[in-house]
Amino acid sequence: MASQKKGGAMSAVGGFFGAIGGFFKDFGVAFAKGDIFVKLSVLWMGAGYARRKQYIKALIMTALEAAIIAFTLTFAMQYVPKFGTLGTVVMERVFNMKTMKSEFNDYDNSFSILLFSLFSFVVWAGAFVIWMRNVVNVYRLQQKAEAGEHINTFREDMHSYIEEKFHITLLTLPVIGITVFTFIPILLLIFVAFTNYDQQHMPPSALFTWAGFSNFLSLFGGGLTTTFSYAFVRILGWTLVWAFFATFTTYIGGILLSVLLNSAKTRVPKLWRTLFIITIAVPQFVSLLLVRNFFSNGGIVNTICANIGLTGFLRDIGLVSTSYIPFLSAPGWAHVMIILINIWIGVPYQMLIATGVLMNLPSDQVESARVDGAKPFQIFKSITMPYMLFVTGPALVTDFVKNINNFNVIYLLTEGVYTTTNQAMANSQAKEVDLLVTWLFRLTQDYYNYKMASAIGIIVFIICAVFTLFAFNRMIGNGREEDYQ
Amino acid sequence: MKKMKSNRTSSILLHNALIAVLAFIWLIPIIWLVCTSFSAYSGMNTSTFFPKEWSLIHYQKLFQPDTVQQFPRWFMNTFIIACFTTVISTAFVLMVAYATSVMRFPMRKPLMNMGVILNLFPGMLSMIAVYFVLKTFNLTNSYAGLIMVYSGSAGLGYLIAKGFFDTIPRALCEAARIDGCSEARIFSQIIIPMSRPIIVYTVISSFLGPWMDFVFAKMILNAGISENYTVAIGLYKMLDKSLINSYFTIFCCGGVLVSIPISVLFFIMQKFYVEGVTGGAVKG
Amino acid sequence: MKLRKAMAVVLSAAMAVSSAMVVSADEGPVTLTLWGAEEDQTLLGELVDEFKAAYPDQEFDISIGVESESTAKDTILTDPEAAADVFAFASDQIFDLVNAGALLNLEDFGEVLQMAGKTLDDVKAANVAGSVEAATVDGSLYAFPRAADNGYFLYYDSSVLSEDDIASWDSLLAAADAAGKKVGMTFASGWYNASFFYGAGFTTGLNEDGTTAIDWNGTSADGYTGVDVVKGMIGIASSPAFMAIADGDITNQIAGGQLCAVVSGTWDAIAAQEAFGDGYAATKLPTFTVGDTQVQQGSVAGYKFVGVNGFSENSGWAVLLAEFITNEASQQKFFDQRESGPSNNNVLASDAVSANLAMAALGKQAEFGVAQNVGGKFWDPSATFGEMIAQGNLSVDDDAAIQEALDTLVEGVTAPVE
Repeated sequence: MASQKKGGAMSAVGGFFGAIGGFFKDFGVAFAKGDIFVKLSVLWMGAGYARRKQYIKALIMTALEAAIIAFTLTFAMQYVPKFGTLGTVVMERVFNMKTMKSEFNDYDNSFSILLFSLFSFVVWAGAFVIWMRNVVNVYRLQQKAEAGEHINTFREDMHSYIEEKFHITLLTLPVIGITVFTFIPILLLIFVAFTNYDQQHMPPSALFTWAGFSNFLSLFGGGLTTTFSYAFVRILGWTLVWAFFATFTTYIGGILLSVLLNSAKTRVPKLWRTLFIITIAVPQFVSLLLVRNFFSNGGIVNTICANIGLTGFLRDIGLVSTSYIPFLSAPGWAHVMIILINIWIGVPYQMLIATGVLMNLPSDQVESARVDGAKPFQIFKSITMPYMLFVTGPALVTDFVKNINNFNVIYLLTEGVYTTTNQAMANSQAKEVDLLVTWLFRLTQDYYNYKMASAIGIIVFIICAVFTLFAFNRMIGNGREEDYQ
Repeated sequence: MKKMKSNRTSSILLHNALIAVLAFIWLIPIIWLVCTSFSAYSGMNTSTFFPKEWSLIHYQKLFQPDTVQQFPRWFMNTFIIACFTTVISTAFVLMVAYATSVMRFPMRKPLMNMGVILNLFPGMLSMIAVYFVLKTFNLTNSYAGLIMVYSGSAGLGYLIAKGFFDTIPRALCEAARIDGCSEARIFSQIIIPMSRPIIVYTVISSFLGPWMDFVFAKMILNAGISENYTVAIGLYKMLDKSLINSYFTIFCCGGVLVSIPISVLFFIMQKFYVEGVTGGAVKG
Repeated sequence: MKLRKAMAVVLSAAMAVSSAMVVSADEGPVTLTLWGAEEDQTLLGELVDEFKAAYPDQEFDISIGVESESTAKDTILTDPEAAADVFAFASDQIFDLVNAGALLNLEDFGEVLQMAGKTLDDVKAANVAGSVEAATVDGSLYAFPRAADNGYFLYYDSSVLSEDDIASWDSLLAAADAAGKKVGMTFASGWYNASFFYGAGFTTGLNEDGTTAIDWNGTSADGYTGVDVVKGMIGIASSPAFMAIADGDITNQIAGGQLCAVVSGTWDAIAAQEAFGDGYAATKLPTFTVGDTQVQQGSVAGYKFVGVNGFSENSGWAVLLAEFITNEASQQKFFDQRESGPSNNNVLASDAVSANLAMAALGKQAEFGVAQNVGGKFWDPSATFGEMIAQGNLSVDDDAAIQEALDTLVEGVTAPVE
């Protein structure tokens, strides 16, 4: 993250485009100045290597080219030509009594068309880069050969993959994994936001198609459903409030707890620490579902509160209108409880991190402060906290983004328990305690409204991106990095 | 003098009492979980904190699979998935971290920026796409598919490990290079042996994933063969309206049994875990 | 898709060659998957074996999977092509399933059913009319009714409440209050709270474009206004003896011991039996006050169906399997082994069924039951509406506010499907 910080967003973007420009230039030069074999490499990727007697490499490149062509013909061509319409043939089925089987026509599945078209585009983009690089590489070989330099044998080439090209060896598999399991799905999500993929247009029995910006229009009040924009603004507000409190309460709580545990006064600190860690070890869906039942309208806590008269007292002062305390079932109450329960879950984890960081706390500063007669609280305020903030600042930003997308806590605590009493919210399938991410999860799971969910997903992304850039830039702006080095 | 000493004693007492109270608050739900798992009643008890009757019967039931629960099988399944996930994820994380931390190459920064951007998207939403990607390769309803989902994108979580590698003195690598060590050897014989804390941290984090996830697992293991479930889906399904009354206590037993190995793991690895996470976070 | 096309060609070629009507057994085994609830697995295994024995000429390879009836839709609609050939589901899911093409129209399979010695009309006649109605979409039957127990009625403790007490909500709540006990019902669910409106003659319906039709903000066929119904509901909810229970928390609350009566279904029979002990009793729902008259509370008549996946290859055999699982003998077994309330008229009429307290109460309530035809947009607004009443957000004196809330409800429910 450090280099991320120093790089800065703008220069990173600029550098990126610069790199692309240079890449195309290299290709142009190579193609223009290359000999006939370099030019032939444009068609037959192995040509240049064959000319330089790198037969194995020529073979590999040829095989790769063949594989890409085969992929294009057998796989990509099934889907990519339909990308513009996302399919036109609706499923039809005829039952054949003689075979007792259903026979289907060769119907289109808009989702598959979209997904596999994108998949093909990504493969082609990769192939395109390799193809251009190949020409450049072959041209370099030609230059080397003309200058009489040594041309690598296959073994030497291979060796370079554990030497200066070791990063390629290291990164290939992880990058493929990320591309297939994160990048392509996210790309798909972005495209779905511009289609009409919803319950009325759900593959495989129906088709969906492109719909332009209409989903974003209805999200911001320009479309048919006015309540959607109403719900969106409120949920966005709570999402930000939640992310702020969830991040800072656990963060500060974790530091306080670790200061408490690591104090010289503490007896058997390891035992105490372990006790707190147990809450991390219980799977979240178990502990959260338990806590939810704990605080349910008819749960134990309510029984106890009723028995000791707390419920009656709260009703008398007008805080509750029901015969129970709506810990997780009324707005306000639920919001506070969710944040408190999140403290319960998050503090032990933050405590572990803070414990480690505070071990490295510059002890001379603390000592001199103590000699100067500073109170523990003053030391905490003016030495411990600034140090923590400096060290874990970037992590704090990441935590904030994680909390914006914190699905588990909200979903497990409120799903099936919380019923909104705000009709405008209900009319857009939202609740006051929803985060954007749980709202869109429910939109897809219960209402199959993928188009709106995707549009919301993009908004969430933009918010996170803006926040991250802003926060990182502010942190660099402080310019206090030298203080602690 | 004596007064001061007693002052100090009482302050220590107070301090530890405060911690004890906090620890108690933190443990209440856990205590409830453990107590409930020893209840003789199979549904949820909402009137009293402690069960009215204690019994081991539900633990016994947990080890006698019926058509609803096959805990021993689920435990094995999850364990196998978790082991493979751990190996692959840890390898991916260390590989990416080394490449981005120690090595310098032109695409380094664009790739890292890309990683930051990808991390900002809500992953929940791409679930359905991930499902269809797996289906294309005929990997739904297979452990291989689940393992790939859990570990495929692990490389994106490289930041903490990279932070840790950043703290390793560059001079060490330079010296090795001058001695003629290949990058691969520096990675495997110098960096890795020095990185025990961060490896432990990565191993624990990725080992926990399959035990906790019920959303992806439910989607990918959708053939309804309950023998193939992971612990998380199995336990989650016990809370279905029609089952909760007869399986809630068994659910608690399952929760306790899953937590025990994880707690032990945490307990043993605590020191490394703290070092790992902070080694990474310090550098940020 | 390529594969399907190729297969279609091969199949039509094969068809042209063979003119025999008989299904050739040498094509290898017919592969089918069947999904049912966790608790039904053993019984389904037995039924599958019987099914195989009933068609000895054909080889089968049938695997059974777990999918609870209440969640079947969610799993199936994620990827209908990967879902089981034959699956059990709750009746309220039928519209979404039909809409997604995940159910076969059984009207096309009359010829197949002849192999089981029946016609589709036989199936329709064998099951209670309500179940067939609920399984019918646009005039076509889409699923076989298997159980008629997915409805609710009143469980009560006869040692606390007398026969007279349970006649109306007013007397019920008064008696419960006097005994220091509570009466529980879920208000925050359109499945439960619609019972008041249905009882007063209001309706819900499904339009052709998938939107829901609802008239609760007007005047019903029986001449009651929606506002008066809501006032009746507020009267119940504001009683100190009333306990509004979250959907899904009912079983816990029954076991909790505070209740002396509760609105729930057969799935809570065991819990109610344990909680009420010797006083365990069940009957139809009470009447409630609308204006100055007593109106019998209606209910949603829910069913469990077995349907065939629209994307099933071996659809002919799948239909036969679905039929077999839901025929009279199988429903008898479901009742004997699983205490599942049958939809088959003959099984329903048997002494054993009428001797079962919960089933008998369900039968009594069935008279006032309505098949709930609603689209997906019904659930959230109606749950919210019920929760508003339960939490006391609406005042019984404020007609205008009640009318406005009803109008907003109707607006949300009738919103176009996206």
